Amino acid sequence: MSSLAVKDHPGRLDKRPSRTRSPRHWPGWLTGWAFVLPAVALFAVMGVYTIGSGLALSFAKWNGFTPTWTWVGVQNYLDLLYADPVLAPELRRAGGHTLQVMIAVPLLTVAISLPLAVALNSIRRLRAILRSIYFLPYVTTGIAVYFAWRYVLEPDGAINTLLRSLGLGTLAQPQGFLGNPDTALPTLILILVWSAVPVATLLYLSGLQAIDPNLFEAAQIDGAAPRHVLRRVIWPLLRPITAAIVLLGVRDALHGFQIFLVMTRGGPGGHTDVLGLMAYRLAFFKGLAQTLGVSSALGWMLFAGAVLLALLNARMLRRVR
Amino acid sequence: MTGRRAARAVSFAALFLYALISLYPFLWMASGAFKSRSEILEGGFLPRSFSFDTLVQTWGRLHFFDYFLNSLKVTAMTVLGVLVVYSLASYAFAVLDFPGRRILFWFFVSLLFVPGITMLLPVVILEKQLGVLGTHIGLVLPFVNGTAPLTVLLLTNAYGAIPREMREAARADGASELRIFASVYLPLAKPAHVAVAVLTAVPTWNEYVLTRVSISDPSRYTLPLGLESLISSEVPRYNEVMAASLIIVLPVIVLFLLLQRYFVNGLVGAIKG
Repeated sequence: MSSLAVKDHPGRLDKRPSRTRSPRHWPGWLTGWAFVLPAVALFAVMGVYTIGSGLALSFAKWNGFTPTWTWVGVQNYLDLLYADPVLAPELRRAGGHTLQVMIAVPLLTVAISLPLAVALNSIRRLRAILRSIYFLPYVTTGIAVYFAWRYVLEPDGAINTLLRSLGLGTLAQPQGFLGNPDTALPTLILILVWSAVPVATLLYLSGLQAIDPNLFEAAQIDGAAPRHVLRRVIWPLLRPITAAIVLLGVRDALHGFQIFLVMTRGGPGGHTDVLGLMAYRLAFFKGLAQTLGVSSALGWMLFAGAVLLALLNARMLRRVR
Repeated sequence: MTGRRAARAVSFAALFLYALISLYPFLWMASGAFKSRSEILEGGFLPRSFSFDTLVQTWGRLHFFDYFLNSLKVTAMTVLGVLVVYSLASYAFAVLDFPGRRILFWFFVSLLFVPGITMLLPVVILEKQLGVLGTHIGLVLPFVNGTAPLTVLLLTNAYGAIPREMREAARADGASELRIFASVYLPLAKPAHVAVAVLTAVPTWNEYVLTRVSISDPSRYTLPLGLESLISSEVPRYNEVMAASLIIVLPVIVLFLLLQRYFVNGLVGAIKG
């Protein structure tokens, strides 16, 4: 980048003598570091130190109150993976749920948002207002909306009433959708999809708008059916966007647990427990039990998963380009 | 021809259906917020008589105004912190040359892949030692740090897109680096700054997880905690819960409608970048 600028300005204007009061004679590297210093300082405290102490804690047992940690080496990791009769099955179950979320949410998000974006792109009137409406679930993501969902999903809530009035009473859930172990996780997955569709639709829409309209015309003149235009013309151009959407979805499935905490706390009976929530519970819901180290270890296992994901992503991007 | 018209009708129907799905919980939120306590148990979408009683009562109960101010304070401090700290850093990444530039930039951006939960517990432990746990500053510091990857990405792109001639000209006039930054780059990259501000403000306003484990003093509650305290008390009175939810969601919706352009461009820019 900077070499380009030098080429553009062979005269190097900055060689001219200066007459300002500011410390112009600072070496350039010092100026650069002065600009990044606040960010680096904040990160040194809130990032490096905490990451370091968290990593150390994952090799210890501690309940947050006693003055000293008990070092246990890699025992926390082994406990989680197989050694502990309570933690290991819990981890496997939560991991299974996380995996389901990780697969279902990106797939459904793409399946809904791509046709939605194509339809939205094909109309002129109302496009702007529909786009604004579609975007609401994203900007409001959080506890308030999750409570609204809880309200409509109650046993006597709006969704059950709606199903009964449509003659689909057999689909209604007398214990509420979140109270039934069989429907709780699928329900949460659908709400996650509902929150993820806005950004995905937006990205697809911006991708579609970047496609040369002549391409569609040419395809139409050639007599291609809309289905074929979608498959042969649009889809290949949207593949990088799809990759980004899937990556974001997978990342959120691995990291995110807020909806599970707010809506079910992992219930009923652990049927919606996920890995992030498990780490959270081990850290904050266990009172005096010595589970902080195990929680850290689980956090680091999630971190390892995220790094793996990042590497995969870099690889994928390279192939796409 | 009829085929095409039919296709058009189908796609309009699908678009409207999904608009309805997008709005669904908000419609019920609004309906619930205007219902009385007895009405909320009956079901039915439209409240029989529109009254602001529930909203007013909820606002008055539990010091919602204090929570509102606390949320506003935390959000404003976070946005300000993010803009100051990362505009400086991004300027250095985009236009200055110094050893370690590439590595540092790569470092900040790759933080995107560190799960929040990995940092959560150590942050709480550290803040306890520092004595800031449970204060608003204790929330703002990790919030600011947490936005680093996306913000640095967005702002570095924005500053990098400003023609270098502008900087060279200012330097020729004898402007210091700080001066060039403040009077050339900051005004020119205004859309990116607004985008960063809204993309920071909205999640901060809605933040619940870290806030929940840090703040224990009710006088420091933010809106999400106030909302939660409504539902954790005995049987939830959903009309009040929906009223409180509406209070949280409305400012965000207004902000979004006003600044939609920046939202959209910021998001697309950040993810594609």
